[in-house]
Amino acid sequence: MKKMLAMLLAALLLLACASAASAEDAARLTIAYQYGLAYAPLVVAQTEKFIEQAYDGALEIEWVQMSSGADINTGVMSGSVDVGFMGVGPAITGISKNVSYKIFTNLSGQEHGLMTNDESLRTYDDIIDSYSQIALVNIGSIQHIILAKSLADNGFDPHALDASLVAMKHPDGMSALLAGSVPLHLTTSPYIYRERETEGLHEIEALREAWPKENSFIVGVAAIALYDENRPLYDALCAGIADAIDYVNGHVEATAALTSQYDGNSVEDEAAWLRLGNYDTATGGVEAMARFMYENAFIEADPGSYADLVFDNVRGD
Amino acid sequence: MTALLKIENLSKVYDDDSREHAVIDNLSLEVEQGEFLCILGPSGCGKTTLLRCIAGFERCRGRILVDGREIAGPGTDRIMVFQDFNQLFPWLTVERNIQYALKCQGVRDRRKLADIAADVLAKVKMSGFEKHYPYQLSGGMKQRVAIAKALALKPAIILMDEPFAALDAITRNTLQQEVLAISRQEKCTIIFITHNIQEGIVLGTRLMLMQHGGRVAMDLRNPIPRPVSPSSPGYGALWDRMHAALYATQEV
Amino acid sequence: MKDSVRSLLQKVAFVAVLLAAWEIAARAHVFGPRSEIIFPTLEAVGAAFVKNFAKGYAGVTLWVYLANSMKLLLAGMGIGIGMAFLCSGLSMVSRTFHNLYSLLVAVADLLPGVALLPVVIIIFGVKPGVIVFLVVHSVVWPMSRNLIDGFRAVPRLYVEAGMNIGLSRAGLLFGIYIPAAMSYILSGLKVGWARAWRGLISAEMIFGIASAPGIGLFINQMRTNMNNAEMYATLVVIIIIGLIVQYGILNPIEKHTVGKWGMRKS
Repeated sequence: MKKMLAMLLAALLLLACASAASAEDAARLTIAYQYGLAYAPLVVAQTEKFIEQAYDGALEIEWVQMSSGADINTGVMSGSVDVGFMGVGPAITGISKNVSYKIFTNLSGQEHGLMTNDESLRTYDDIIDSYSQIALVNIGSIQHIILAKSLADNGFDPHALDASLVAMKHPDGMSALLAGSVPLHLTTSPYIYRERETEGLHEIEALREAWPKENSFIVGVAAIALYDENRPLYDALCAGIADAIDYVNGHVEATAALTSQYDGNSVEDEAAWLRLGNYDTATGGVEAMARFMYENAFIEADPGSYADLVFDNVRGD
Repeated sequence: MTALLKIENLSKVYDDDSREHAVIDNLSLEVEQGEFLCILGPSGCGKTTLLRCIAGFERCRGRILVDGREIAGPGTDRIMVFQDFNQLFPWLTVERNIQYALKCQGVRDRRKLADIAADVLAKVKMSGFEKHYPYQLSGGMKQRVAIAKALALKPAIILMDEPFAALDAITRNTLQQEVLAISRQEKCTIIFITHNIQEGIVLGTRLMLMQHGGRVAMDLRNPIPRPVSPSSPGYGALWDRMHAALYATQEV
Repeated sequence: MKDSVRSLLQKVAFVAVLLAAWEIAARAHVFGPRSEIIFPTLEAVGAAFVKNFAKGYAGVTLWVYLANSMKLLLAGMGIGIGMAFLCSGLSMVSRTFHNLYSLLVAVADLLPGVALLPVVIIIFGVKPGVIVFLVVHSVVWPMSRNLIDGFRAVPRLYVEAGMNIGLSRAGLLFGIYIPAAMSYILSGLKVGWARAWRGLISAEMIFGIASAPGIGLFINQMRTNMNNAEMYATLVVIIIIGLIVQYGILNPIEKHTVGKWGMRKS
């Protein structure tokens, strides 16, 4: 028994020494991201080590996959996450709540669509009049805000359909739509592409225009502390992500080969879907989105201007 | 006059894994109204099985008739008082244990229920314990209530399966005297199983000895006039005779 | 000192220590620079508690969410308990049914309700009935397990005594099996209640119907909006309801049945 304890202690000591040694000479970065094709550049950056290459010195990056923007926000606030990638909605919510981060890059824009299996539904009037339920990923999510914005753009109360929402994960919503359990599903890539190809479903056209793929969908946020205290690392992060986005745009087939391993789709499908997405470092519509969220009570505090939302190196609006 | 209880060619076979094992073999028996039949016998001779067959708890071959009608399962004309003290329902008070049995027989009138319960509890000297739950009673008290419950139902026959075997000697003697008094007062028919010769002689108007294989080894009218005590003339001789017969059966 | 008083004091002291530890951790900002948002002080949680009920979210107070959840929970528990009694009763009557039902209980009890959600949505559609189904799922199996165990453990003696006083099959079930198995039934209810309450909230967190918003959806909304104090306050509500059911309903039932009858399982 004593012997075992001694061995255990020795092993622990060794481990501690080893980690202390590595911590001494290497910079460390924890990046939280989520799952899906909208995050494709991150898979590239991770496997091709673009950020490490852009950094002058040893760098250890820990990639953590989380399941929601809210979780990543909590991680950043507790100091255990330095960099996170999430929907533009939770990012704006986080900034308005003083999570002490800002947007350091755009990552991707994707198409959104509102699909239905009900022949009689064509316009928002039809949906509002028939009290038809709409499945989307979460109440208060970016999809919900896009719906509200589209309603407002078309002259309706942005909250007119709030009582018709049903929160379900994207794949669950798709199977519910296909099974006829729910008449409408508001979703994004790649589900929207599959649903558009499915016979018997048609799209509510009005929503397509509300948030085109040129606008920001997924953005990267970085702790203000990182920007203030370790600029070389911050710059390497921005450069690495920019390189990854360039790679995705320039090597669609290679990227598809990589991401299809995680998604289980065919390389051809992945490549087609990647081409339909918009991968760009410049943001689109972030300030407009923030104002809309504030004016329609999706957030309580004023998120401020574009300069309050992004670091000074970010291009776009 | 026909017998109150008539058993014709009763056989009971237990199926052990390998072989069939006859517990009761072609037994016939008649019991008259008002008789107090004590059945004695060594352990495993089938006396409990016989009682359970009469109660209707066991499937068996042959016919059992009560008042000329063949029985088909358990019934309130034959109430069993078990050896186990825990035969009262623990979720009912003493009073309700008795009333529940009556309610199952369709007695709904609350006053009548209360009167019957009070009456039978007085007979077993348990007045004042109406609201007690069984776990608050001693073993002897529980057996008194079980007997009261049997009396309340006014069955044709009360079946008692060694009801006092697990009691201490003093309590047992008291209860024997009470059962004796009740049986004479109520003129009820009782079949009482015991392995205690003294108990048999004191209580029974008729004594029956069973031997292994479920056969009747001895069946006689109790010659000693009641009340019987060890000092009654003939007690010693009868005891010796029963004792010898009992040991003889055990040697089989 | 009386045992009950002592036990109460111990519990109070334990809770006080936990709360003190929470408060110290909150005030010391142990969870990073923005600790007050993710790990709010007791005062903030208390204020959020009041706000949840007074103001709520988007004009809907927590009462509405709570009422919806309770409706679904009661419906689910009612159906689940009823089904458990029915099926466990049937498996006392039919040997074949017992064999098949035991297998079903053993298998189905292993499946987490939320994992069934996609299938349930496809079968039932997007309705509050989905949540009811998941509550039934979380109640019926542990309850059945306890009921079957309880019925099997009923002493043969009670059953024979019951048959002797002329009880029919149904009479035996209600007059003998159910009261005799009461301690098992109660532990089944305790497990079933806890599972149902937890199952309801986790189902509502991933399947939220805005027209019948439940307490799980409220938690999720608070989480999405980074209103952590409000989220913790809602967890406190969940705990309070759990305690009310435990100490206000289940324990008194136990005291007035198996406790009074001297039948408490040791």
